[in-house]
Amino acid sequence: MKRESGYQMKNIMRKKQLPQTMNEFDQVVKGNSLSKDAWRRLKKNKMAVISVIIVSIYILLAICAPILPIYPYDEIVLDHQNLKPSFSKTSGELMFEKRLADLYTQAWRQGRLTLSEEQNAILETWIDKNQATKVWDYMYVEGNRQLESGTFTFNTAENRTVNNLKSKIATDLQITVDTIWTTDPQTGKKLNVEKLSTEEIVNLYATMVGNTPQQVITQYTVEIEQQILKQIKSESTGLTEAEYQSLLQADLAGFSQKERDNLTKDNVFSKIAAIAKDIAASDLKTAATDATAEFPLNKEIQIKDSLSASVKATKMHERRYYLGTDYVGRDMLSRIIYGGQVSIAIGFIGTLTSVLIGVVLGALAGYLGGKVDYFIMRVVDIMYGLPYMLLVIIAMAIFGRNILNLFFALAIISWLTISRMVRGQIMSLKNQEFIEAARSMGASTPRIIFRHLVPNSLSVIIVFSTLRIPSFIMTESFLSFLGLGVQAPYASWGSLVGNGVGGMTLYPWKLFYPALAMTIFLFAMNFLGDGLRDAFDPQSKNQL
Amino acid sequence: MTKYIIKRLLGIIPTLLIIITISFFIVRVAPGGPFDGERALPEVVKRNIEAKYHMNDPLLLQYGRYMFDVLRGDLGPSFRYKDHDVNFYIFQSLPNSIMLGVIAISLSIVLGITSGMLASVKQNTWVDYLSMALAVVGISVPLFVIGPVLQYVFAIKLQWLPTSGWFTAGGDWKTIILPAITLAFADFGVIARLTRSSMLETLRSDYIRTAKAKGMRNSAIIFKHAMKGAMLPIVSYLGPAFAGIITGSVVVEQVFRIPGLGKFFVQSSFNRDYTLIVGVVIVYSVILVIMNFIVDVVYSMLDPRITYK
Repeated sequence: MKRESGYQMKNIMRKKQLPQTMNEFDQVVKGNSLSKDAWRRLKKNKMAVISVIIVSIYILLAICAPILPIYPYDEIVLDHQNLKPSFSKTSGELMFEKRLADLYTQAWRQGRLTLSEEQNAILETWIDKNQATKVWDYMYVEGNRQLESGTFTFNTAENRTVNNLKSKIATDLQITVDTIWTTDPQTGKKLNVEKLSTEEIVNLYATMVGNTPQQVITQYTVEIEQQILKQIKSESTGLTEAEYQSLLQADLAGFSQKERDNLTKDNVFSKIAAIAKDIAASDLKTAATDATAEFPLNKEIQIKDSLSASVKATKMHERRYYLGTDYVGRDMLSRIIYGGQVSIAIGFIGTLTSVLIGVVLGALAGYLGGKVDYFIMRVVDIMYGLPYMLLVIIAMAIFGRNILNLFFALAIISWLTISRMVRGQIMSLKNQEFIEAARSMGASTPRIIFRHLVPNSLSVIIVFSTLRIPSFIMTESFLSFLGLGVQAPYASWGSLVGNGVGGMTLYPWKLFYPALAMTIFLFAMNFLGDGLRDAFDPQSKNQL
Repeated sequence: MTKYIIKRLLGIIPTLLIIITISFFIVRVAPGGPFDGERALPEVVKRNIEAKYHMNDPLLLQYGRYMFDVLRGDLGPSFRYKDHDVNFYIFQSLPNSIMLGVIAISLSIVLGITSGMLASVKQNTWVDYLSMALAVVGISVPLFVIGPVLQYVFAIKLQWLPTSGWFTAGGDWKTIILPAITLAFADFGVIARLTRSSMLETLRSDYIRTAKAKGMRNSAIIFKHAMKGAMLPIVSYLGPAFAGIITGSVVVEQVFRIPGLGKFFVQSSFNRDYTLIVGVVIVYSVILVIMNFIVDVVYSMLDPRITYK
C-alpha cells in the first residue's frame, strides 16, 4: 500500500516537470545559481585565475613536502654554513671556493699575495663600504690566477689545509641505516631486528658486546634513571637529594610494564643501529678514499656474524643547495617549503576557526537579538578598543612560544569583524518570507540559523575568509619575525625573514628567497580575494 | 554635539580600566617570574626581592595598589633595570616613537590621498595603474619584508641612506627616511585605494554633474566639491591606521634599531619585566584611545548626516 502511494507520488512529480523555457528569440533560458554566476565571472578575471593556480601550487607543495626530494629542513650540517645558492656547483665546490678565497685574502693582508696599487685601492674602498662578498669574489679569481702563473704559492700550513679539505670533500659520507637484519641460525631466514621482541633484541645486543642480558638491562636502567633525574633537577630547583630520589621513584612507578619494555627496546635498538652505522662508516670510508665505489650507493653490510644491515650512503659534499643554506647549514629550499607549510596551515586553519566562532556568535546575536545581541556586541566593542596585537605579544612571551599558543591567541582575537558582518547579514535576512515560512512550519532556532540563515550569507563569509587568510599569515609571520612565534627547528616565513635580516649584507639570499616566497603567496591570496568579491558582488567593483 | 563628545569621553574610561586589568592579570598568572634567571636564586634572596616589590601580598591588594599608582601617573619600578623606574624609560623612548609615527602617518595620508586622487581623475591611465600597483604592494607585503628590502637596496647596495640608527642617538636626519617610508607603506596602500574608489563614486554623483553643467573648472570641482565628500571613508579609516602604526612601529624599530617604545616592549616581553610591559601597553592604549576619540569627533563634524543621541 505504502509502496504504491510512493510510486504514484513519483509519477506526479515526473509529470509536473516543465518543458525547457524559451525566450522570444527561441533561445533556451537556463536557470543560473548565484555561485555558478560568480564562478563564471571569476573565470573571466585573469588575475584571479593566475592567483588560483599559484595558490594551488603552494598548497600542493606544502602538502607534498614530506615526499618531495629535498633535504630534511632541520638537518644541521655545520660544514655547509651560509653557502650561497647555486644550480651548477655542489656544496663541496662552494665550500672549497669559500675557504680558498679566505686563504687568499689572508695572504693578501699578510703581504704575501701582491696586487697592483690600483687593485689595492679598489679593495680598500670595498672594505670601507663593508662589501666583504665583493672582496672574496675578487680575491678568489685573482688568487687562482696568481697560483697558476706561479707568482704566489701556498706555505706548508696552507697546503695542508687545502689538501685536508680536498680529501674531506672527497670522502665525507652521509650514511643512513635503513633496516637491520638478523639471520636465524636454524632456519636461515632473515628477520627484521626492529620487529623482534624486547627480550630477543636484548639478547642480540648482549652477544654483540659480550655481556649477559641481565647486565645490558641493568646498565640501561641506570642510564634511564639518570636521565629522568636530570630532567627533574632541571625542572625544580632547591630540593634535597632524598626528595629528588622520591620524585624519581614516583616517576618510575608511573611507567607500566609495557612502556618499560618499549623504552628498553627502543634504546637497545638505537644502540645496535649506532654500531651498524659506525661499521658502515669505516667500511665505506676506505671505498670512498680509494674511489673503488660509486656513490650514492645502497649496500648490505655485515655487522657481526649473523647481523647485517642495509645502508644508504651519499657523499656529504655532493649536495646541491639551489637556494643556499642558512647559518647552521640547513637547506633554505626545504626550510622555505616547510615554513610555507606552517604559515599556510596557520593561515587556513586559523581563519577557519575564527570564522566559525564569528559566524556562530554573529548569527546568535543577529537572530536572537535583545539581551544576547547586546552582550555579544558589547564584548566585541570592548575588544575592538584593545590594542590586541600587543596583548597577543604579551601572551606569546609569557605563555610559551609554540605553534599551538600562537594559533589560539590569533583565533581568539580575529573573530570580531566576521561576527559583526554576519550579524548584519542575518538581521537583514531574518524578517524575510522564507524564514517566516520555516518558523511557521515549526523549525527550531538552530535549524533556522544553520540551515536557512547561514547558508544564505555564505557568499559574504567566503569572500571575507579569503581576504582574511593573508592577514592571518601576516600576523603569524609578524610574531615569528619578532621571535615570539614559531620556534626553531620549525620554521615559518616570518621567522626565516627574521633570521635573514641579521646577515643580509653578506648573505642576502637568506632574506630574499623567503621574502619572495611569502610575497608571491600574499599577492596571489589578495588578488584571489578581490576577484571573489567582485565575482559575488559585481557592484562592489572599484571599492576597497 | 557637546553631549556626544562627553559621552565618548566617558566611554574611554572603562576601556582603559579593562586594558590595565587584563594586562596586569595576564602577566601575573603567567608561569615563571621576572627573577627566574638561568641560575636559581637562593630562597632567602628571592623572598627579600619579592617582598621589596610587594609580590607576596594578596593579588587584589597588588592590583589595587597598582591601579592607584597608575591613576597618579606612576607606573612603578622596573623589575629588570634597577637604575630607573618605568616612567623614566617610557619618557626616554616615547618621543622617538611618536616622531616616527607622526611622520609616517602624515606621509601615508598625504601620499595616499594624492595618488588616490590622481588615479581617480586619470582613471585607466598609467598614473592609475602605477599608483594602484604601489597600493597593492603596500597592502599585500608585510612591512617586515618591505623594511629589510628597502634597507638592502638603498642603504647597503646603493649606499644613499644610513642602514640604521637615530638622529638623537648620534645619527643624522637621514636615518628617519627609511623607517618612516616603511611604516607609511601599508597605510598608504589602503588610503590610496579608499581615496580612488570614493572619489570615483563621488565624481559620478548628481551634484558633481550639476557643477559640471554649470561650467565650473575641473580643478574647482575636484577640490571644492568632490574632495570633501570623498574624504569621509578616509577619516573613518584613520582609527585602524593608528593601531597599525603602533604595531608596525614595533617591527620597524626592531629592523632599524631605533631606541623607541616598541623595541622596549619586545625586550621587556622577553625579560618578563611585568611593570615595564604593563606600562608600555598602558601608554600605547592611551594613545590609541585618544586617537580613536579624535577621529570619531572629526568624522561627526565632517558628516552632517550623523545625528547624536
